[in-house]
Amino acid sequence: MTLEIQSRQANNGVTVVAPTGRLDVAGAPTLKEAISEALKGGPSKVVLDMEGVSFVDSTGLGSVIAALKQIRSSQGDLRLAAPNQQVRVVLELTTLDRVFPYFSTVEEALTGF
Amino acid sequence: MGTRAEPFEFHATFSDLDEGLERLHESVKLLRDAAGRKPDDTNVMHFEIALAEIGANVLTHGRPNHVDPPVEYDLRLDHDTVRASFIDRGPAVLDFATREMPGATSESGRGLPMARWLLDELIYQRDGEVNKWRLVKHL
Repeated sequence: MTLEIQSRQANNGVTVVAPTGRLDVAGAPTLKEAISEALKGGPSKVVLDMEGVSFVDSTGLGSVIAALKQIRSSQGDLRLAAPNQQVRVVLELTTLDRVFPYFSTVEEALTGF
Repeated sequence: MGTRAEPFEFHATFSDLDEGLERLHESVKLLRDAAGRKPDDTNVMHFEIALAEIGANVLTHGRPNHVDPPVEYDLRLDHDTVRASFIDRGPAVLDFATREMPGATSESGRGLPMARWLLDELIYQRDGEVNKWRLVKHL
């Protein structure tokens, strides 16, 4: 299952990056490319819409951490939205839920961002 | 846990990362059906996470130069205990027993600690020129 990614600009200027498929060792490079593309216009706030992500592994998680570091180094910020149960389990197991406070929906993540 | 405890077996050989990952997840779906578990069953989910971690590692590092021989994969369910095994011809995994969960900002190194935590048993053995992995989870 190839990871597919769609990006859009929300009304408040935040970039919403929405991967679909498995964010795993095979899909992680695609997310890294999409984040790099989103940052070409300068500092950026990004919401990573995880609703379409069916499964995440540690490499996929690593690509999200890489994205967070890349975005923050360019004075931007990243929020995670709508992770499914499996993604939440992995975030909590690795205690990365403390690094990525996640939001139930994209709309919640966009609010006040 | 209300399972049918129906014996289940799945065997495959993998020579490609994408195809291998696809078949691993497919095998868990078949296992879940055979065990009569729901898609959100926590124990099956934990097993799938661990299996995907070890499987990704084996498929990435277990085929030197990404060529044959393929990785051998076996999955069995018996009396609510699931057992999976991989055999690969990659280099020995030297720090299997000591690898710990890295810090929050690390971009790698979580797979093995996660798998160890999620499984009831994770056994690694270097046998001559091959690596043997055995994963056990009581559902």
